[in-house]
Amino acid sequence: MIRFDNVTKLYPSQVRPAVDEVTLEIDKGEFVFLVGASGSGKSTLLRLMLREERPTGGSVHVLGKDLNRLSAWKVPALRRQMGTVFQDFRLLPNKSVFENVAFALEVIGKPRHTIAQVVPEVLELVGLAGKEGRRPDELSGGEQQRVAIARAFANRPLLLIADEPTGNLDPATSVGIMRLLDRINRTGTTVVMATHDAAIVDQMRKRVIELEGGHLVRDQSRGVYGYSR
Amino acid sequence: MRSTVVLTEVRNGLRRNLGLTVAVILTVLVAGVLGGLSFLLHEQVNVMKSYWYDKVEISVYLCGTDSVAPSCLGPNGTAQAVTDAQRRQIKADLLSLPQVKEVYYESKADAYKHFEEQFKGSPIAASAPPDSLPESFRVKLKDPKTFAAVTGAFTGRSGVEEVQDERQLLDKLFSALNGIQRGGLIIAALMVVSALLLIANTIRVAAFTRRRETGIMRLVGASNLSIQLPFLLESVVAAMLGALLAGGLLAALKAFLIDGILAPSFQFTPFFGWDSLWKAGALVLIASMLIAASASMVTLRRYLRI
Ligand SMILES: Nc1ncnc2c1ncn2[C@@H]1O[C@H](COP(=O)(O)OP(=O)(O)OP(=O)(O)O)[C@@H](O)[C@H]1O
Ligand SMILES: [Mg+2]
Repeated sequence: MIRFDNVTKLYPSQVRPAVDEVTLEIDKGEFVFLVGASGSGKSTLLRLMLREERPTGGSVHVLGKDLNRLSAWKVPALRRQMGTVFQDFRLLPNKSVFENVAFALEVIGKPRHTIAQVVPEVLELVGLAGKEGRRPDELSGGEQQRVAIARAFANRPLLLIADEPTGNLDPATSVGIMRLLDRINRTGTTVVMATHDAAIVDQMRKRVIELEGGHLVRDQSRGVYGYSR
Repeated sequence: MRSTVVLTEVRNGLRRNLGLTVAVILTVLVAGVLGGLSFLLHEQVNVMKSYWYDKVEISVYLCGTDSVAPSCLGPNGTAQAVTDAQRRQIKADLLSLPQVKEVYYESKADAYKHFEEQFKGSPIAASAPPDSLPESFRVKLKDPKTFAAVTGAFTGRSGVEEVQDERQLLDKLFSALNGIQRGGLIIAALMVVSALLLIANTIRVAAFTRRRETGIMRLVGASNLSIQLPFLLESVVAAMLGALLAGGLLAALKAFLIDGILAPSFQFTPFFGWDSLWKAGALVLIASMLIAASASMVTLRRYLRI
């Protein structure tokens, strides 16, 4: 599903690579936590998977595609098979919950009747049934993140990438979001999630990949957030 | 992306950026009017050329006793009027030229009569003595462009005072009109440059105000085309509106100024027709849409990186 071979990413302005010779493999259906201190390269690693950044060394394979060789016009097709969720939700403030999710389907050319069927289903799945008409500013942070997850999942992606999805939420709300991600994972969707949230990682007991200064320093199945606590 | 979705995006985009959209429309309008006007002036010169060139003649003025041209001076240095033999020979020689279509003779008396008609009621008519005007041959050519053959053969010939080509007078007028047309084109080109910069800037602003939308579109895998198309269409639609307004102004100019005022008062001058106006309109429309599209594509490439 995802394979990194000796991947290095050096941003043009930097002297130290943000990701340094990382090799890893993530299989279909896995749930993987990406942990590490701030600036350790977690977001960079996720952006490499999304092909928002290109590696300066090594190769990245995602969903069977060598991203170094993938031509630019094929990138959208790849991204349609991936869902993304961020700490800051990234909802459109002047669209309703329904419209926010529908927008993601409209812009990839889904027919109207499919949208009318899929959007209520996925809103139901994330627990937002009855709130379709609300605007993002009429929702709590946790609900906004649910909308973002619904949008990411609406096209039934094979891979869900989440960069600190609970970063802006309180612990109780975070637990709800994690339950939802776990449910999505159980449908067969691979989930890769960067986080600073030790409690969540310890509780879920999933695979943990730890970065330190761009290096992969730990890859542990059923791991915890850190040794030194 | 479905076309209704694209259209909604375009309409929202135009409305959100109303000020800049209006600026683009007005700039294209001014550029279009100037460009259209210089095209129409060009058409006007062509119409006048084909009308007048058919009518122009070459005048071969013959020597009189008051001529001062060297070809009219006799051996004693005084002016000598053209002789009958010279006159006959000149006419025969004119007729023998293959370029010449027709030759007719205007006597001093005829010339005076035409002169009187032209300046009827003016004190000039009374001031000129009847035999002060030269006699001449009026020559019509098969092709007015070949006048050099006649001027070359007859200028300086004894008995001929001067060969005058009316075409040269017209050409002076036409080159003045062409100068105006070129000036119009240059200003229109400057306006096109400002339209280009304005469109580029408008798209930059639009791309910035909509970076949230486009960012989401990129992430969920919208194609480059569906991300860029609304921006492109917006500028093309704005340019189209400007061009249509420009076309409307040009049509109003044709209807009211030319057909309404100028044509009735200058009945001997032909004016360009509505076919030229349609051509000008189509030209302005196509050019402005192409310009808007290319400006957009260059800008989008820079500001909407996928
Ligand atoms: N666009 C960029 N240009 C230059 N340097 C960057 C860029 N993005 C990140 N970096 C640098 O790369 C390094 C890794 O950044 P990254 O965002 O991947 O870390 P992170 O682990 O996600 O941190 P955080 O936990 O704070 O989100 C940092 O030193 C950062 O300054
Ligand atoms: Mg980060």
